[in-house]
Amino acid sequence: MYRKTLMTMLPLLAALSCANSWAAEPDEIPTFSLRGFGTLGVARSASDQAEFARDFSQPHGIKGGQWSGRIDSVLGLQANWQATPQVELVGQLVSRYRYDESRDPEVMWAFAKWEPDARVALRAGRIGSDFMMLADSRLVGYSYLPVRPSADFFGPLFFSHFDGADASLTLPLGSGLLRSKLFAGATSEKTSIKSGIWDTSGSPVRGLVLDYLTGPWQFRVNSASVRFSHDMNFAPVTDLLRMTGVPSAIAAADQLKLADKTTRYHALGVLYDAGPVQVQGMLNTISNETQAFQNSRAGYLLAGYRLGTVMPYVGVSWWKSKLRPLATGLPNPLFAELNQGLDTIMAAGVADQTTYTLGARWNLCTNTAIKLQWDAVRGSAASKLPVINAQPDWNGRTNVISAVVDFVF
Amino acid sequence: MALRKLFCFLCLMLLAPLAAADLVVVVNPKSGIERLSQEEVINIYLGRYRRLVSGIAAEPIDLMGDNELKTRFYRRLVGKTLAEINAYWARLIFSGRTRPPHLAENVESALHYVAAHPGALAYVERSQADMRVRVVYDLGE
Repeated sequence: MYRKTLMTMLPLLAALSCANSWAAEPDEIPTFSLRGFGTLGVARSASDQAEFARDFSQPHGIKGGQWSGRIDSVLGLQANWQATPQVELVGQLVSRYRYDESRDPEVMWAFAKWEPDARVALRAGRIGSDFMMLADSRLVGYSYLPVRPSADFFGPLFFSHFDGADASLTLPLGSGLLRSKLFAGATSEKTSIKSGIWDTSGSPVRGLVLDYLTGPWQFRVNSASVRFSHDMNFAPVTDLLRMTGVPSAIAAADQLKLADKTTRYHALGVLYDAGPVQVQGMLNTISNETQAFQNSRAGYLLAGYRLGTVMPYVGVSWWKSKLRPLATGLPNPLFAELNQGLDTIMAAGVADQTTYTLGARWNLCTNTAIKLQWDAVRGSAASKLPVINAQPDWNGRTNVISAVVDFVF
Repeated sequence: MALRKLFCFLCLMLLAPLAAADLVVVVNPKSGIERLSQEEVINIYLGRYRRLVSGIAAEPIDLMGDNELKTRFYRRLVGKTLAEINAYWARLIFSGRTRPPHLAENVESALHYVAAHPGALAYVERSQADMRVRVVYDLGE
């Protein structure tokens, strides 16, 4: 019933959204503005052996050929108050499918920005994590070309925001601009994992973003690290390993600890955006001190060409983890069950897939876009990390079809 | 094919009067700016770097709504449609990164703002650029 209502509402919503003019403001500096964004979308994933999700924060995905509005639908409201020409206060509330299966609104941003001049910007408060090349938010569907940022690339980057500060410096260099940003703070989010909810809040994060913009080109280098504050719950395996009293088994349990372990992220990106052409690509590596996660490499390439108001696009993305073996050192068959328990934890961390994307974005009017997208996920049977609840028959392959209406108001 | 050629011809005929009009970027004569490059105009209008070489903070003025002058300006400057420009601002506004240009109701109100603010810029037809402002960039239509 819900799905049917959603399907009938899509065109209606599109029509209503177009009736509102975007960003109508007086001709002097606005002191206060209230804006919003949203996506109403349905998607279906063909495989019934695993659930396809947008990112790690989602507790469930979609599967079995059932249409669902679960993974992409989102609504956000943002208030900006320009207190003085140099100081701006920004707050953003978003309702999306959360780690606890609710859509309770959450505070995405709440920060003060001070721009003493055009070259320097300092922000403090709750700030967006700057992983995407084009924006700090990955939830404003209207602002980017595909239905969703690549799940292979951005899926494991489940932090949407952190509490802290960032400082940006923009300077002309050669024919372009060099923008550098340093950020530091602590995360304030929870995420869903197989054994329940993992509280990642209070984990210190810091990083550096360098962008060079010249003409239609943007080049990016990005490094970030997070030192986790809380362990994941791997009970009873880790408890049983410790109870054996065998040093190698205790060491294996220690290797699965996340608290006080650092994960590092490095990325390179390039964007070409000129007239009707948009091409972008990024590469990343994620390395972990903990062995609860595998190290991985991912990348994506997306290219679109605008024909009138329609922009067809093609993309490819990949995500591959590198297994670091971890053994208990306990003999089989006496400890077969425990050894198998550890192997299961390690196997759940494997990512090995490529996704081919084909889609089109139709700019219905200047504040609403309709997108249709087909994703072909082609992975190995061992690729269980990118999906949720992989069954024994999961073969690493599924086809996802998505239809969304993105709007801003 | 013949129909397509005829359509293109008709489009050109209709667009001919528009092409004859010259679109320019103007500033306040007190800005200390004589010329701006295309890259500088892009950086100012797209919020990448809003500082004039004279050291004054640049304040770009945009026209309200989806009008013909605005459509031509962004098409000439960056080859983008207004929907694409709005998508661009959506991603920056909802990141709190930077502000879109101030909006003026019409060209006269934009010129009035430029005349009153040393760092302000606006785009107008060349014929509309009067004594109050200085032409610093020609979009070359």
